[in-house]
Amino acid sequence: MKIQRKQITASVPSFAMGDIGFLLLIFFVILARAQDDSHVQWQPAQLKDVEMAAAPLASVAIDTGFKTYLDGKEIATSELAAALTILLGDATAGQRNVFLKVHRETKATHFEPVIAAISEAGGDLTHILEPEEETKKR
Amino acid sequence: MKLHRGKLLVDPPACASSDIAFTLIIFFLVCAAVQPETGMSQLLPKTEEKSDKREQSQNIEVSITASGIVLNGNPMQLPEFSRKLSTALKAKTREADRIVVVKSAPDTPYTAWVAVSSAIEQAGGVLTLELESEKIINVR
Repeated sequence: MKIQRKQITASVPSFAMGDIGFLLLIFFVILARAQDDSHVQWQPAQLKDVEMAAAPLASVAIDTGFKTYLDGKEIATSELAAALTILLGDATAGQRNVFLKVHRETKATHFEPVIAAISEAGGDLTHILEPEEETKKR
Repeated sequence: MKLHRGKLLVDPPACASSDIAFTLIIFFLVCAAVQPETGMSQLLPKTEEKSDKREQSQNIEVSITASGIVLNGNPMQLPEFSRKLSTALKAKTREADRIVVVKSAPDTPYTAWVAVSSAIEQAGGVLTLELESEKIINVR
């Protein structure tokens, strides 16, 4: 006589599905941030009167080693104007925002050609700066 | 006589703690990444090359060096520069007359350049960069 074992049903616990879905959502949101240049090392210059900056179409940065980056990827200054023209596309004036993040110790030989390239591409330039008063309090 | 029921200890389920911690880390990461940025905006018309400099002779000329600012040939510091520029631009009503040609020495630090360009903007001037390669950029 055969003794039949009890059949146990293996079900996937469904109570964690909400957590998993939420984590996946955040994961893809982070991946979608194509303009991420958080790895670029730079310190902003300070100015008394700064205003809130509108969302950019592109972000140009010059780091502590005076290397130029476009949306987090290193680029030669000579190629910047052409790359920006493609990125800005047919966006109308006023919506062609380009963030310029320049390390505070950068010299004119490095940042002036970058400004010229943004100008050549027809970008609306926004210098990203730190408010002077807040930094003094720190 | 009252019968006391045995109290049951209720432990919060610890298996979800790591999930909660991980979610909180990601939440603060995302919050930090989307912090609004502050700055100074400048409208740049397209770069144009100008070989003829005769037109610029009537404009205010500013040279920036690592040590100071030179306004129409007179060296000065930023507070004095702001004052004199405001006075010089007050009388000028046409936009073409309010052009301020800025030439930076190669060793000019960005902080000094930003301070000068902000002062020009506040005085109502139209900033124009003069680059080594004879490129003229109008900054409104």
